[in-house]
Amino acid sequence: MSTTFLPCGVYHENYKQDHAWWQTRFIKSKMFLLLVSLFFIIPKIADTYWLSICNQIGYTVLGALGVQLLIGFCGQVTLGHAAFLAVGAYVSTLLVLEFPWPALLVQWGLAYPMSILIAALAAGFWCVLFGLPSARVKGFYLILTTMAAQFITVDFVITQYISQIGGRGQAFSLPPGTIKVGPWMIDSDIKVYYMMIVLVIICVIGMVNLLRSRVGRAWVAIRDNDISAEVMGINIVKYKLLAFFVAGFIGGIAGAVWISNLAAISPEHFPWFWSLWLVGVILIGGAGSVHGTIFGSIFMVVVMELLQMAVIPLADTYPKLLVDFLFIKESAFGLAICVFLIFEPNGLAYRWWQAKNYFNLWPFSY
Amino acid sequence: MELFFMTVTTGVMVGGIYALIALGWVLIYKCSGVLNLAMGELTLIGAYASLAFYTMGIPFLFSLLLSLIVGFILGILTERIFLDKLIGEPVLTVIMVTVGLSFFFKGIVELIWSTDTRVFEPAVFPLEPLRFGAIVVGQVYLWSFIAAIILLVIFVSFFKYTRWGLAMQATADDEMAALSLGISARFVYAAAWAIAFMAAGVGGTLLGNINGLNISVGYMGLLVLPAVVLGGLNSVPGAIVGGIAIGVMQNLCGAYLDQYFPGGVKEIAPFAFMAIFLLFKPYGLWGWERIERV
Repeated sequence: MSTTFLPCGVYHENYKQDHAWWQTRFIKSKMFLLLVSLFFIIPKIADTYWLSICNQIGYTVLGALGVQLLIGFCGQVTLGHAAFLAVGAYVSTLLVLEFPWPALLVQWGLAYPMSILIAALAAGFWCVLFGLPSARVKGFYLILTTMAAQFITVDFVITQYISQIGGRGQAFSLPPGTIKVGPWMIDSDIKVYYMMIVLVIICVIGMVNLLRSRVGRAWVAIRDNDISAEVMGINIVKYKLLAFFVAGFIGGIAGAVWISNLAAISPEHFPWFWSLWLVGVILIGGAGSVHGTIFGSIFMVVVMELLQMAVIPLADTYPKLLVDFLFIKESAFGLAICVFLIFEPNGLAYRWWQAKNYFNLWPFSY
Repeated sequence: MELFFMTVTTGVMVGGIYALIALGWVLIYKCSGVLNLAMGELTLIGAYASLAFYTMGIPFLFSLLLSLIVGFILGILTERIFLDKLIGEPVLTVIMVTVGLSFFFKGIVELIWSTDTRVFEPAVFPLEPLRFGAIVVGQVYLWSFIAAIILLVIFVSFFKYTRWGLAMQATADDEMAALSLGISARFVYAAAWAIAFMAAGVGGTLLGNINGLNISVGYMGLLVLPAVVLGGLNSVPGAIVGGIAIGVMQNLCGAYLDQYFPGGVKEIAPFAFMAIFLLFKPYGLWGWERIERV
């Protein structure tokens, strides 16, 4: 997928214009409108239910960004990304609950933001640990090692060891009021929404800029042909591990942010299903495009909610449906992945690109 | 020492079942190059099908036979509907389609049979254990092992001595040459999926007889991945040896290492072993050594 075509009559006179993110006034005003609607309109019109859906979308975007980076831009397939989300979530929870923060930091509400940062770093390094085999193996074998990462991290280390800390057994409960950012107590959906939206914007901007830099181009080169990338002087091992680090870092942020939305955290929040779900999200959205991550997240979350809405009225006549909804969801997800890969392998981002070009070039689209 | 021998015997017998499932996996990979992550769900479907027939009152052997027929039909349908359209697509696409299929199948199995553990009632195999000197073996294990071995022999001789089996071998060896000799590659792919479904179904039925049948049998089906990695992705003898080795290793870890950990070693050990093994010998014991610089 190449860049979008500019409308007729727009010319660039210097390189600065050529490098600009938003190249026409129309795009600038469009993005401004998007920002306004994200920060002011959506919180105004959405009720708690839709806000919680927005939060889910934000969480999915944050989680899937790392997967998108690994699969879509660096070509390293990962099927165990929920493990790194789990590492982020658990490190942050443990820091908030158990670490003896200086009273001053707690008072200023810096404990949780700092724990997010530390959690992200920890998840990044954990991800590098399981990315190490990528120095020697690729393709299917790498898939197997990332699967092993999921089982070792979540089903073994976290379930058997981390969950035992403090003698709580399975779950860590997060009593209301533990999570505080600056002067704000994060205790309602709307506050989670604002925090989420800020973090999503920071992460997306950071990632898009990273992909335009030397590092991002090196990743794309490795994805397209690793041998010629090496011939061009790219240190493959270094850049692959860097990709794993950044992916784990973003995943750690996702996990650490998500705990603000939960009353308790347990290993069941990070099953293997969730890893595959994230991969499904980017495949449906379109691998190799940051737009695609966002489209895929919105599509998957909203479609599943609509499915649920369709099930609830039917539940009066078929009460079994409510119980079985989880299974229907699973089946629908599997079928959606298959159908998208067979009939629409470029994902939703490709359709978006086509639509944009159609309107940009209209009425002379030749 | 008794404990050691007993765990090894049990391991070999469970490993026989893994070997059967792994054979199906290797077959699909050899013939069509598809890396199949839906193997666990294939075992589930076959196992639940034969359980359904068995609870209807059909004798065990016949219900096994009927589930083989169901597996055959489903295998051909799966290949024709989903994988036939993906010939020549990138590897990741095909792998992710099998992941999608695994969710699809799993959801359907849960929808039909729900998630409770079910057992074969009345018990198929006698409950009292057999004693060989100091070694005690459950009859379920012994009979499952024998059944698995019989099926392995049937499948292997199918490849060696029948026309269809030889066609499949030829396609696996060199697809272009096989095509020019008039072998239909599409037929071979469909046959590979049908046989994989059948082998996995029998394996699942036997596993279900040991511990009762629920969704976690599908996880057992994932254990074929360490097995095939150990044996080499495209080697049938490798799959058999790998399956048995993984069974033995899993039971040994459960018996000896469990006391040093809070638990769960038995489930994790094969995957941890696989991750380490991949670092040193990624093409397995008997797989084709493709020299690839990374």
